[in-house]
Amino acid sequence: MNFDFGRVALVLVLAVVPIIGIALGMRAPALRSRIPILIGIFAGLIPIFSLYIPKQFLSGPTGMSPRLDQWLIILAGFALLLGIVNVVQNNSRKISRREKGWFFAAVLLIGLLVTSAFGIWGWWTKMGIGFMPDGSPTPFKWVEDRFFQPLQSTIFSLLAFFMASAAFRAFRARNTEATILLIAAGLVMAGRVPLLEFLAAPFPPLHPSASAASQFLGGLAERIMDIPNGAAQSGIIIGAALGAASMAIRVILGIERGYLGLGQGE
Amino acid sequence: MKRIFTWLLKLDRRWIFLFVLFSVATPIVFPIGLPVTTTDSTRRAFEYLESLKPGDTIWLSFDYGPSSAPENDPMAEAVMRQCFLKHVKVVVLALYPLGGLGLANTAVAKVTAEFPGLRYGEDYVNLGYKDGAAAVMRRLGEDIAGAFPTDVNGTPLSRIPMMRGVHDIRNVKLVFTAATGVIGEWWITQVHSQIGTPVVIGPTAVSAPKYYAYLNAGQLVGMLSGMKGAAEYERLLRDTYPQMARFYKSTRTFTATKGMDGQTVIHTVMIAFIILGNLAFLVTRETGRPEAAA
Repeated sequence: MNFDFGRVALVLVLAVVPIIGIALGMRAPALRSRIPILIGIFAGLIPIFSLYIPKQFLSGPTGMSPRLDQWLIILAGFALLLGIVNVVQNNSRKISRREKGWFFAAVLLIGLLVTSAFGIWGWWTKMGIGFMPDGSPTPFKWVEDRFFQPLQSTIFSLLAFFMASAAFRAFRARNTEATILLIAAGLVMAGRVPLLEFLAAPFPPLHPSASAASQFLGGLAERIMDIPNGAAQSGIIIGAALGAASMAIRVILGIERGYLGLGQGE
Repeated sequence: MKRIFTWLLKLDRRWIFLFVLFSVATPIVFPIGLPVTTTDSTRRAFEYLESLKPGDTIWLSFDYGPSSAPENDPMAEAVMRQCFLKHVKVVVLALYPLGGLGLANTAVAKVTAEFPGLRYGEDYVNLGYKDGAAAVMRRLGEDIAGAFPTDVNGTPLSRIPMMRGVHDIRNVKLVFTAATGVIGEWWITQVHSQIGTPVVIGPTAVSAPKYYAYLNAGQLVGMLSGMKGAAEYERLLRDTYPQMARFYKSTRTFTATKGMDGQTVIHTVMIAFIILGNLAFLVTRETGRPEAAA
């Protein structure tokens, strides 16, 4: 049997050491706070080292870094589970205390339980969560199509109404910056759709000139998006990336500890 | 005149809501059929897909939920139609947790029904949903089976004929992501930048401005920007394939081209509102009248 150094090292650093640390930390709060930092340091350093050190145990197909990626997928699944537990706890408390809006919490929990039950039923019967062999939807799909999708669409479509109201009541040319923003927004909005052709629709003689003007507006909108917007977006992305990198370094070095969620004195 | 503008500023917002409702609903009930012009970013995406050979494989990721389905559904469907017309194989998956898989299942069922000769596992495959989008993308660079051991039906990837030559994401010719939120950006940073697989994105119009930076940097092959981008893609499909021209003309289902009518009307209404609101603001400011709260 081959000795898989990458796997052994990962299990040792990210599983055995933390378990020993938790066991020892039962009576030592200081140790309890250092173990997660240690995990953070290793989890942060391994992917970085794998980019620069071409060793099989680190960056090979079964090396530490790809294996860590796979662990991350599993961890993300657990995070989802944690979210569900949190939703159930918070809403159950709301119902039991008859807090304001408890009825909506009850609806949420019923929706969660019914949808989950249909999902689990689909997995248990091997029918899945899509369509039955005869093309009809599974119960999960039915709930999704009849409840989840219309509700999500409704919430998002409300945006059109609020945007129109805001456009009328709040989008004002109060100063130079706001005026520039307003003009740019107006040009992009007009250029993204065949607005002039729509306005000229009742007047056939105007169609050719409306079409040409619409093409020009479209080109202008595309240039606004391409040049000033593209340049500003590049700056924002580079700034955010530098911020994320500095935060990552702080986490790896154990300077940033907010993510640990430790209480006072730890 | 001042009295009219003051009255306008004090107008109950529910009248505005009602006006918006009629502006959107009217073109849906009575389509106008406005023309659609194409932009360079959409043409580049279309031409890249056109350059693929029969038997090539593309990766189609449903990274959006029902909230943006009217924008993203038509682009994902149009890309699938183009691939099936060209005999390009399609690997479908979803990385968006809020209904991405449901939309993928519906779109796959809808489009594959339009091409009766297609065979599951040979022409297309549905890998289903996986949580942890960025981690999944990183894993796809090593081996797809590590992230998706089975397809959505539970069949191991090794038993799916079209997946035999597709070991990792380097073996696909293109990643197309119809995306809302940050997942689309991860395909660029995690897959294109680190692995090199070309990426085309179909974001919602709201998130499209961000992607111009990537487009300018050459990190995106092309972009279908919101419903307009989807309508442009449908037009390119109609212009290139006569059967698609017939299809888009006769189909009773929602298409981006139909949606553009509503979008045009609502854009006109918004611009009119902005102009009216600012006129009222200027006129009432001169007289020193207080402005209604937004």
